[in-house]
Amino acid sequence: MNGHTILVSAFIVAWLSASLRLAGPVLLAALGETFAERSGILNVGIEGTILLGALVSFLSSYRTGLIWTSLFVATAAGVAVNLFLAWMYVSVRASQVITGLVFNVFALGLATTVYRLVLAESAAPESLAVFQPLRMPVIGRIPYLGPVIFGQTAPFYLTLVLAAIAQFVLYRTYFGLAIRATGENPAAADAAGISVHRMRYWGTLLSGAGAGMAGGYLVLAQVGMFRETIVAGQGFIALAIVIFGRWNPLKATLAALVFGACDALQLSLQIFANRVPPQLLLALPYIVTILAISGLFGRAVPPAALMKPYVKD
Amino acid sequence: MTKLFERRLIPADSPGAVASTTALALFAAMAVTAIFFLYYGASPVQAYFGLFHEPFGTLRGFGYSLVRAAPLALVALGTIVSWRSGFYYLGFEGCFIMGAAAAGWLSLLTAPGALLGPVPLAIFLPLVILFSLTVGGLWAGLVAFIRVRLGGNEVLISLMSNYVARFFLQYLVSGPLRAPGSLPESPLLPRDTWLPFILPGTRGHAGILIAVAAALFVWVLLEKLPLGYELVVTGFNPVAARYAGIEVDRRMVFAGFFAGGLGALAGMVEALGSQHRLMDGISGSMGFVGIIVALLSRLNPLAVIPVALIYGGMSVGADAMQRRASIPSSITFILESLAVLLVLASDILRFYKPNFSALRLSKLRASGGEDSA
Amino acid sequence: MKHTLEMKNIVKRFPGVIANDHASLTIHAGEIHALLGENGAGKSTLMQILYGFHSMDSGDIFIDGKRIQLSSPKDAIALGIGMVHQEFMLVPTFSVVENIVLGLGQGAGPMLDLPKASSKTRELSDRFGMAVDPSAKVGSLPMGVRQRVEILKLLYQDARLLILDEPTSVLTSGEKDRLFAVLRELRKSGRSIVIVTHKLNEIMELADRVTVMRDGLVLGTKSIQSTSQQELAQLMVGRDVNLHAVKPEACFGDPVLRVEQCVIDEGGIEKVHAVSFEVRAGEIFGIAGVDGNGQSELVEAILHLRKIKSGRVFLAGTDVTHMSVAAHRAKGISYVPADRRGVGSVAEMTIADNAVLGLQRRYTRGLFRNMRDSRSSAQQLTERFGIRGAGIDSAAGKLSGGNLQKLILGREITSGASLLIVEQPTRGLDVGAVESIWKELLRARQQGKAVLLISAEMEELLNLADRIAVLFDGRIMSVFDAPFESVDRIGLLMAGIASSPGSTSVASQETERDQTL
Repeated sequence: MNGHTILVSAFIVAWLSASLRLAGPVLLAALGETFAERSGILNVGIEGTILLGALVSFLSSYRTGLIWTSLFVATAAGVAVNLFLAWMYVSVRASQVITGLVFNVFALGLATTVYRLVLAESAAPESLAVFQPLRMPVIGRIPYLGPVIFGQTAPFYLTLVLAAIAQFVLYRTYFGLAIRATGENPAAADAAGISVHRMRYWGTLLSGAGAGMAGGYLVLAQVGMFRETIVAGQGFIALAIVIFGRWNPLKATLAALVFGACDALQLSLQIFANRVPPQLLLALPYIVTILAISGLFGRAVPPAALMKPYVKD
Repeated sequence: MTKLFERRLIPADSPGAVASTTALALFAAMAVTAIFFLYYGASPVQAYFGLFHEPFGTLRGFGYSLVRAAPLALVALGTIVSWRSGFYYLGFEGCFIMGAAAAGWLSLLTAPGALLGPVPLAIFLPLVILFSLTVGGLWAGLVAFIRVRLGGNEVLISLMSNYVARFFLQYLVSGPLRAPGSLPESPLLPRDTWLPFILPGTRGHAGILIAVAAALFVWVLLEKLPLGYELVVTGFNPVAARYAGIEVDRRMVFAGFFAGGLGALAGMVEALGSQHRLMDGISGSMGFVGIIVALLSRLNPLAVIPVALIYGGMSVGADAMQRRASIPSSITFILESLAVLLVLASDILRFYKPNFSALRLSKLRASGGEDSA
Repeated sequence: MKHTLEMKNIVKRFPGVIANDHASLTIHAGEIHALLGENGAGKSTLMQILYGFHSMDSGDIFIDGKRIQLSSPKDAIALGIGMVHQEFMLVPTFSVVENIVLGLGQGAGPMLDLPKASSKTRELSDRFGMAVDPSAKVGSLPMGVRQRVEILKLLYQDARLLILDEPTSVLTSGEKDRLFAVLRELRKSGRSIVIVTHKLNEIMELADRVTVMRDGLVLGTKSIQSTSQQELAQLMVGRDVNLHAVKPEACFGDPVLRVEQCVIDEGGIEKVHAVSFEVRAGEIFGIAGVDGNGQSELVEAILHLRKIKSGRVFLAGTDVTHMSVAAHRAKGISYVPADRRGVGSVAEMTIADNAVLGLQRRYTRGLFRNMRDSRSSAQQLTERFGIRGAGIDSAAGKLSGGNLQKLILGREITSGASLLIVEQPTRGLDVGAVESIWKELLRARQQGKAVLLISAEMEELLNLADRIAVLFDGRIMSVFDAPFESVDRIGLLMAGIASSPGSTSVASQETERDQTL
């Protein structure tokens, strides 16, 4: 094999591997958000929730060194803050977009302040206890594809499993049926004896769980450290992925992989194309997302009652 | 047992009810933020004093408060115009950046030896205002067009567009507009293009006047012009608007254009009035804090002026606090956002009416007295 | 086991109106019982109480002599009572079987067993002659099949008493025949069916007994054999006219509005079939008909808020069929919609601002709004039309129904238009407000305006209109001139029965125009 081929194959392997790795957090958040939107709630606050989950997982791993516990704690933190958001959305019936947006600013302030507080007490850790890529015997050694498909970190595989579970729950259980009904025709759900309020609380809490875990994923299995800018709009991209994936967990998985590929492209292409401004590549995932949800490629039909507060009269 | 609070069907909306629940919310926000002050070992009273003293108690600080308030006010005004027309645009960070970039680019063109050469301020100022307005207007107007023609969700698209704008600016200051040296920022903008200082003893500049003028203009638009009337009706009730002969789609695109222009003007004011150069992060989240200012002003253009001043002042005070007491300035984000969240939440309190007779009754019982119900 | 359901002395009040005034009703097992009355007679409310949706203020309900309590639809279904609403409670993106399973609750287990539910659905649908594909998406089904899904939902949960609210209002005549066949099968199986309706020919064709309601009162129950369409129409429609308007001499001018062969369709179904009529200056032209017979579609088309499939609209000779809404207004059409709070006004804006809705471009001085003139115009409206309840600077949402209607009507009348379209102008208003509105409409007529009055209230039409056209199922059945002697005939036509003596129902005269399923 000549040097050129080696370089190209190295590029492709690096790109594929990064695609999968980068898709993880965004997919996790999108899976949770799918349940929220299916119940009729648009939770813009997942951006802030991911940040808080990231912070919590960092603090936990810093103090305890336990990675699975930290991931769990991040998830729990996501659920806890979304309890407040759910209350605002469902009981107070505040505007969902406004509440979520302002909450994101709050989360940024909170995360930054707490992080600085921690740094003030002790210097930033040089390394954090994080998930290591798996090393599978035999199948992990398959040239090229082995490390890509079987060499990801545990949370990645967990995410895939969760995607499958989400698909099953949404379409094969009564709970999933009830949530979907709440988002399409809350009056019909109500007439059938389903508590619209309770379903929407569930939906929001599930999106909080997904976002919290996504934050943990970012710190513990992707970046390896906490930064205030660690989320950088991935929560919003998760919202777009939900639309892109037509509110279906399996399709969202594919959409997330596409996004991950775009994101990874800019990492890998930098090796090659140094005439293309790196910022263009950085902007690529966002531009692609805009095109995807602009309506150019067919109008995505959201759940009919999305963002419409339900009042029993 | 009679409840202490009865649920009303329609929320109480007397000015007294609104004021008291809002005050309660603001107080609660300050109380929660105080917890963080405590954590840093500062007494909340001292901290709040420090937060507000510099920006409102000193001349120089007040000048800075005005300077910080101006772009916030402009973003808030853009929010008001678009949201009251039913166009939920959130891309003001992007408009801000694009406006700053446009102003910076035009300004650099007038550097000695550059394409245009030095241009008197009297000509440059209207030109750069027009240019920024157009760039911002197109930036946001495109999103409005997508919403009206293709049905795209403007909330998400505008949020995404913020990141595209940020990367575009990063590109400009790392490449074409980069100053010699290692920092990714533009050269200092030509002195002739700086917004003139208008308050002696401070760094208060003409951008403040632009903001005030814009506030008046938006107020006139929404209250006194037929176009504004149509925008407002479209925002309240698009069906009724259509039945009244209003072209809802066109109005929404106009609202987007106008709002984007205001957002870009905010960037222009910051670039030519304060920073005097372009760099990454020039927006400093003002694109979002400005939205918060609009919300706290209850989407009233005149109320924007005092609220923007308070928020501008808070950011000045926060910086001072960080310098002196090492308390991170991000605490103000907590206070600012919590204030809005709790004010929104407090609206639910107006659904409940305190049942005074039940209160009296329970007091009587508690004191062992006989009740004569 | 034979079941008898008895409702005794049901009283239900809503703010300002007695919906049910000591209403009593008995329903036997294995019968089809019709509940007949106009809009606002109280029949829907009575059934919603039976179905557990509303609570009654007083009264009793007995099944087989035993008193029952109904506090929610779940209680009702547990007792075997189910209702099919006029607006179906279906999730369009779900399949038929998913919609059916939705109502079962977690009781059937957390996992969905769609195949089992599908086969039970198929069984039920075959048994009663309703062909339904359990896996079809409800949103893609025609109305007649969707209705079957609603019925199947009830049968799946063992309903013994089925209430259908205006079941044929969304059906084509072929679908209607199929529905009747199904209902007869259900009757044979010993179930009871209550149909709430205003359509006399269908009652005569299908029901065993009929109960007539008017103004919250039950006028009586008769068996179908012992009564006739005429008698029922009289009971339903005829009343002591307690409001009597004094109508000045007519003085008609040229036609202002001319509608020619207007056809409107929606989703493949024709809502309005080749309707033509004219309204002259100084005339009140009434269109009589119960809601849902094409009135709103027709009006929206005249205003250009809706596309016309074919046909034309002329205003004072000019073809306005394709002009924008604003242009229509400029040319002289004004409109008072049926939905006064949702469409005719903006609740959050002040009365002063609502007074110029649609006219904002006229009240200008140079570039600016002429606030002084628009406020004085609002003030004048308040005085002239007697609008009470709030100052012109308070929110329009605070006005009562009557005062809001006066505001809207006043605005449209004083806008200087030559054609005034008014839709259900006095719905939900008290007698005093009704009188004022009528007075204003007659005054507009006196001033030479052409008035198109669309109403479901016979009294209103009889008092105000110079001519009445009856709209049924998207067609103009007939046009009557004042003085209106044959009120009964108008009533019959509103209920779908053709006017020529000795003829059978309209249904048999129609050609089968829809495809088989």
